[in-house]
Amino acid sequence: MSLREVIISATRKVPAIPTAAARVSTVLQDPDVNISALSRAIEHDPALAANVLRIANSIYFSGPRTVGTIKEAIMRLGTSRVFGLTLASAIAPVAGVAIKGYDLKPGELWQHSVSSAVCVDQLIETLALEAPKYTFTAALLHDIGKIVLGTFVEVDAAPIMDLAFKEGMPFEEAEMRVLGISHPEVGAILLENWNLPKIVVDAVRWHQQPDEYEGDTDQMIIDLVHAADALSLIGGIGTGSDGLNYRVSKVVADRLGLNNAIAETVVMKMLDGLEEVKELFGEDWGR
Amino acid sequence: MNHVVGISEMKISNKPGDVLVTYSLGSCVGLSLYDPVAGVGALLHSMLPLSKIDRAKAEARPFMFVDTGVPQMLQTVFDFGAQRSRLIANVAGCASLLDDKKLFKIGERNYTVLRKILWKNNILIAAEDVGGTISRTMHVYMADGRTTIKSGGKERELV
Repeated sequence: MSLREVIISATRKVPAIPTAAARVSTVLQDPDVNISALSRAIEHDPALAANVLRIANSIYFSGPRTVGTIKEAIMRLGTSRVFGLTLASAIAPVAGVAIKGYDLKPGELWQHSVSSAVCVDQLIETLALEAPKYTFTAALLHDIGKIVLGTFVEVDAAPIMDLAFKEGMPFEEAEMRVLGISHPEVGAILLENWNLPKIVVDAVRWHQQPDEYEGDTDQMIIDLVHAADALSLIGGIGTGSDGLNYRVSKVVADRLGLNNAIAETVVMKMLDGLEEVKELFGEDWGR
Repeated sequence: MNHVVGISEMKISNKPGDVLVTYSLGSCVGLSLYDPVAGVGALLHSMLPLSKIDRAKAEARPFMFVDTGVPQMLQTVFDFGAQRSRLIANVAGCASLLDDKKLFKIGERNYTVLRKILWKNNILIAAEDVGGTISRTMHVYMADGRTTIKSGGKERELV
């Protein structure tokens, strides 16, 4: 078996998302989804329901008024956001571990995930965009492939880092060269195994190569995840041994209308948003 | 004791057993000031160069911005008995993405503004580890002012 095949088979070793989260995903992919069916799917798992309520009641998502039921949470936040929160709650234990191969301490990948999701919200608001459904979810999950590479395969990052930092090759290209696969692709395979919507899978797969995507998924979700990831790295939130060694696309920046001044504002708002969403991080986020 | 300096924070100490640490400096800038005679040291982690993008924010969180954070940091170390002429300043961070079109200049601008403010305050930078595409963790040991930079699993002293 090639290293690439070993890695792909390792995606099967990652614990599946809890049944309730998978059910929520299925319910939401039904075009005739109704709020009752969705809230039942969440309430099926009391721990998940409690988590969704707790997160929905963080200042960031709900403001001062308290949300008491899952139904209210869905009406307040919308189905797409609730889906993101459900997945957040479901993958937090998996994403919270140390990612050895990438020198990420426990919680750091999770911090980067949440900061990218908060950042994508701020980008959408600041640039006044009509973003596709599931953009928040895709931003949250964009680096999930690192869990497989760093924990289930425990790749030796040294040759990847040599290529990246000594030869200035973008990190995902260096992964491709050494491992035969990159973390965005691994992440996409994992999310496909979990039956997540294709738009999420595509956004995760192409977030580092937004200029190369040719397909019918809305390009804006790929662009937004690319930009949110970039700004979250600039902020230094949950950066590992790969550091900031990723290429940023001018084509994407131009398409979104993003420049340095707007980037500074978004980074500032992201930090504020993170303060308000501490519930997602636990005690010592940003540490 | 370890004191963690979060993003947009500054911490100060005069206890020899203390270590000030700030994690994952991306494009943010880390500045340490240490007076070996007074045994006073401080560490700042600022995110953005100029406070003009949000004055109200700068009032509430001056350490978020280099132009408001550094003067306030200086005032604090002076209040603790440090003297300008004895201050040893070390700088880390200010990294950027692989960005040949220079789309996002936050790291570069943080560094430029910091240098300008230190220069205006007659403080020279003793040592620095800035730029590139790496993320850095900065430690300042209060016993002797030793400052280390950790990146990619390796730690080195800033001299």
